[in-house]
Amino acid sequence: MNQAVEFEEMEHEIVGTVGTPLVDNPKMSTRNVDVFYGDKQAIFDVNLDLSANEVIALIGPSGCGKSTYLRCLNRMNDTIDICRVTGQLLLDEEDIYDKSMDPVLLRARVGMVFQKPNPFPKSIYDNVAYGPKLHGLASNRAELDEIVVTSLQKAGLFNEVKDRLDALGTGLSGGQQQRLCIARTIAVSPEVILMDEPASALDPIATAVIEELIDELRENFTIAIVTHSMQQAARVSQRTAYFHLGKLVEVGETNQIFTNPSHQLTENYITGRFG
Amino acid sequence: MSETTQAVKKSLSRRYRKEKIFRATGMAAILVGLSFVVILFVNIISKGYPAFEQTYIKLPIHFDEQTIDPQGERDPEVLRRADYMGLVKESLREAFPDVKGRSDKRDLYNLVSKGAGYDLADRVLADPALIGQTQELWLLADDEIDTFVKGHVTHSETIPLAGNPVVTDNDGQLRITGDAVVMDSLQNSLRDLVPVEMADEEETVMLPDDGPSVLLELQGGLVRITAYDPEGVTGKVVSPLKPDATDAGWNLVLHETPEAERRVKDKTIFWVRTLESRGLVEKHFNTVFFTSGDSREPEQSGIAGALAGSMLTLIVTLLLSFPIGVGAAIYLEEFAPRNRWTDLIEVNINNLAAVPSIVFGLLGLAVFISFFGLPRSAPLVGGLVLTLMTLPTIIIASRAALKSVPPSIKEAALGVGASKMQAMFHHVLPLALPGMLTGTIIGMAQALGETAPLLMIGMVAFIVDIPQGFTDNATVLPVQIFLWADSPERAFVERTSAAIMVLLGFLIGMNALAVFLRKKFERKW
Repeated sequence: MNQAVEFEEMEHEIVGTVGTPLVDNPKMSTRNVDVFYGDKQAIFDVNLDLSANEVIALIGPSGCGKSTYLRCLNRMNDTIDICRVTGQLLLDEEDIYDKSMDPVLLRARVGMVFQKPNPFPKSIYDNVAYGPKLHGLASNRAELDEIVVTSLQKAGLFNEVKDRLDALGTGLSGGQQQRLCIARTIAVSPEVILMDEPASALDPIATAVIEELIDELRENFTIAIVTHSMQQAARVSQRTAYFHLGKLVEVGETNQIFTNPSHQLTENYITGRFG
Repeated sequence: MSETTQAVKKSLSRRYRKEKIFRATGMAAILVGLSFVVILFVNIISKGYPAFEQTYIKLPIHFDEQTIDPQGERDPEVLRRADYMGLVKESLREAFPDVKGRSDKRDLYNLVSKGAGYDLADRVLADPALIGQTQELWLLADDEIDTFVKGHVTHSETIPLAGNPVVTDNDGQLRITGDAVVMDSLQNSLRDLVPVEMADEEETVMLPDDGPSVLLELQGGLVRITAYDPEGVTGKVVSPLKPDATDAGWNLVLHETPEAERRVKDKTIFWVRTLESRGLVEKHFNTVFFTSGDSREPEQSGIAGALAGSMLTLIVTLLLSFPIGVGAAIYLEEFAPRNRWTDLIEVNINNLAAVPSIVFGLLGLAVFISFFGLPRSAPLVGGLVLTLMTLPTIIIASRAALKSVPPSIKEAALGVGASKMQAMFHHVLPLALPGMLTGTIIGMAQALGETAPLLMIGMVAFIVDIPQGFTDNATVLPVQIFLWADSPERAFVERTSAAIMVLLGFLIGMNALAVFLRKKFERKW
């Protein structure tokens, strides 16, 4: 059968989400989320919960809306003028799109690591210290030093940079830069960390380090990670959500999704028939 | 060989030829441009550099108490008003005691600049103890004298002659003859100097009055040769001879430009040459050019006033245009909603950059002077007008600088919970600042070189005083250049070029600073 026709047929099969998108006691919950870029709708009616101390992987072919969805969770989409989000998005029962919710406070609670490492062109120390300083998390220099060191330790970078905290963050290698960005994010002790393809610009060894790190961070944080690599999703996540053309197709235990997907589209994707 | 290979091979030589032609065209364009720049610089520098030296004449000045302060009270007001030029004239008369007659004396007094009087007054006011003393002072020479000393008046040649000439006075007509030595050297020199073919050795050659001046310096006087023949020369006295003068040397002098066509006459040149031979004429570094304002007398005019005006104007421009321009750029780039209004504003800012600058001058005249009643010719108004003119440049450059900061930096800041403002001022602005500064400096350089709008607001006025504040009357460097270029005096030509050199120096300096800042703070991601 022609692939385009097959694709076309399957289009009609997405009527709701298959699997277990909702959990008890979610850290974040989203209901009926629609996202528009101008007149174009990018996300269609997504219902998904993030439970605490869990890594959830968002997978799907390019342009399926997984990054857009992720960026809704800390209102990063606010920076895009034409972007409009509707539906209910809750963080600990609080509506994050409510007027009373300050995006600055929200982003302190829901941190983000970006696809491309983007350290500030400042020293390693200043990179990590920026968030805590901004929010007044340290009352003196010693406390700030403490935060910087523990954050770097948690990000697994401290041993590599402890002798050159004054060196430029942009002078590190790609993998180190990304871990620096993670350290910068966890320095403000967020509750949730959003990661948008954090390892896509890195080599396999740096990727392995980051993956290990994500696994360790799960103890203290709720993590949502967008990834193109299904192996990565399988390695780091407990639950996996599959997006297709702006719709959430299937959510389930990672093991189950990769061994026994319920939806035909999911199966096609993970078996590599398209994507 | 496959078909593709063949096709590619066929087209290769044509492609390379095209590339070569393109490269050659580019090189030619650059060469043409460069050569014009070189011509410009050579022209300006060769014309302008003599202006950095000025001719001074050394004269013994007796600070006569009777002339300066007859009452002996040392009242500064009296001291200031005294006739110091009288002292200079006295000294000149003593130097050339045989100059008689009103017009001759006036010509003699004109050797020294009128500014010398002010110079003496300043000296006396600074130190009244000078009164009664006699001092040897270097006094500023008149601009015509300066021009002559620099060789711009006429091409001159001097040939020393041999022997002892015999002078006979025949009712004002002098006849100069002598022995074989005298006649030989005279005839040979004349033949070398005067471009007249002697058809016959016996013939008398007449030298017309409207031709080049052929002169004989002898016995402390000057004779203009009107005719010569194999037996001797005939001439008329320009400066009286002193037959009892002891110096035996005599010279044949030629001034190629006819006397009627130059402002420095033979007699004056003779005086200057006399002073020169006594070591009393020297070229010194032209401090006046850098310390005084404009003047009708070229030798007293300088760029200090225009430079101060330019600086004051630029300060106003910088203080206004940098914050406003950067603020507007930040707002438009980062905070303004994207709608029809901001589009309109954007288009108009770009249009503003293309508005002829004289229109800004008209605007300034109408708004700042007529409506707000700000003073005319003031650096304040000039600065306001130039701000209007510079703003688009700064806004466009600043926006480009902001755009060139990768959005990931802003996202990173927002991601850790910085507000929009904090992300802007902590991260984006520091990274964009070098670009903004570069744009601002280039805008300032533009403003420094701007003439047209300032003409409209009266900064073209003739202003002698150096402006002290933002509301004083002032002019600026480019306008000063424009004014001097318009002046007929020969001495202003070199001053024009010299002022252009100073202006170009500042412009190049500013542009170099912009390049330096860009290189220093350039960051790579």
